[in-house]
Amino acid sequence: MEAESSTSNQQRKRKRSASESSAKPAQSTWRTDKEHRLYSSKLLEALRRVRSGSGSSSPRTDPPRSRAVREAADRALAISARGRTRWSRAILSSRSIKLKSNRIRVPCPARPKRTELERIQSAADQEKKKSVVLQSKAKVLGRLVPGCKKLSFPTLLEEASDYIKALEMQVKAMSALTEILSMIGGGTEGAPGMVQDAGAGTNSMPPPA
Amino acid sequence: MSRRRSRISEEEINELISKLQSLVPESRRCGSNRASATKLLKETCNYIKSLQREVDDLSDRLSDLMAGMDNNSAQADIIRSLLSS
Repeated sequence: MEAESSTSNQQRKRKRSASESSAKPAQSTWRTDKEHRLYSSKLLEALRRVRSGSGSSSPRTDPPRSRAVREAADRALAISARGRTRWSRAILSSRSIKLKSNRIRVPCPARPKRTELERIQSAADQEKKKSVVLQSKAKVLGRLVPGCKKLSFPTLLEEASDYIKALEMQVKAMSALTEILSMIGGGTEGAPGMVQDAGAGTNSMPPPA
Repeated sequence: MSRRRSRISEEEINELISKLQSLVPESRRCGSNRASATKLLKETCNYIKSLQREVDDLSDRLSDLMAGMDNNSAQADIIRSLLSS
């Protein structure tokens, strides 16, 4: 684990220097095997904590547990982002502080009324009209991505594209984990019969992929 | 990093939009080179929502599987050892 963290430190330094010089290297983030493995191990850690936290025998834990699993997976995902993006920081800060319900909605300050001239200019400007529609869609997008309600348009698009890639990785990791666990648990899904026959205690687990 | 902070230029937006377009599978499949920005934003929102729904669904299944761990069976032992390694 130490070797991995040191190489990931190097990777982070490389990425940070690359992002300082030019646009962020967006293509390789969230798609590398290393990040996938990193996220999977953090996910397992988080799930372990969920399991130990909820205790061994409490019959009422099923709905809150799935919520806890979702939150743990999100938190692991946000940690894997290493503070690069706003949505990851928003996930981490909102979970720990938990003030979301207490936040008071501040009404938007009233805009000053436009003069005639401005109104004429804006009516003739086609792009302004398009940007109004864009803004309403962008607002919806800002609500979906955590922590991005008040961002400028280009920043919001950047956050959204990073968030999408992270979500894709999360789905991939969680479905792989689910598949493994269900194969172990069920054993009738076409998996090789070794798990079923290994009920006597010989741990003949398939090697990790 | 952002050289022009006062005015968001059209080409910056177009660049980001094309980047998004390459990510969202729906618009990639349609092959439209210059999809309108509103449509792309709508597709993006739908895609994010479907991904989040998928994560919720997977969390449900994972929590069910983890609940099965609480029995004392050989399979639960395997799962437990997997999670604690």
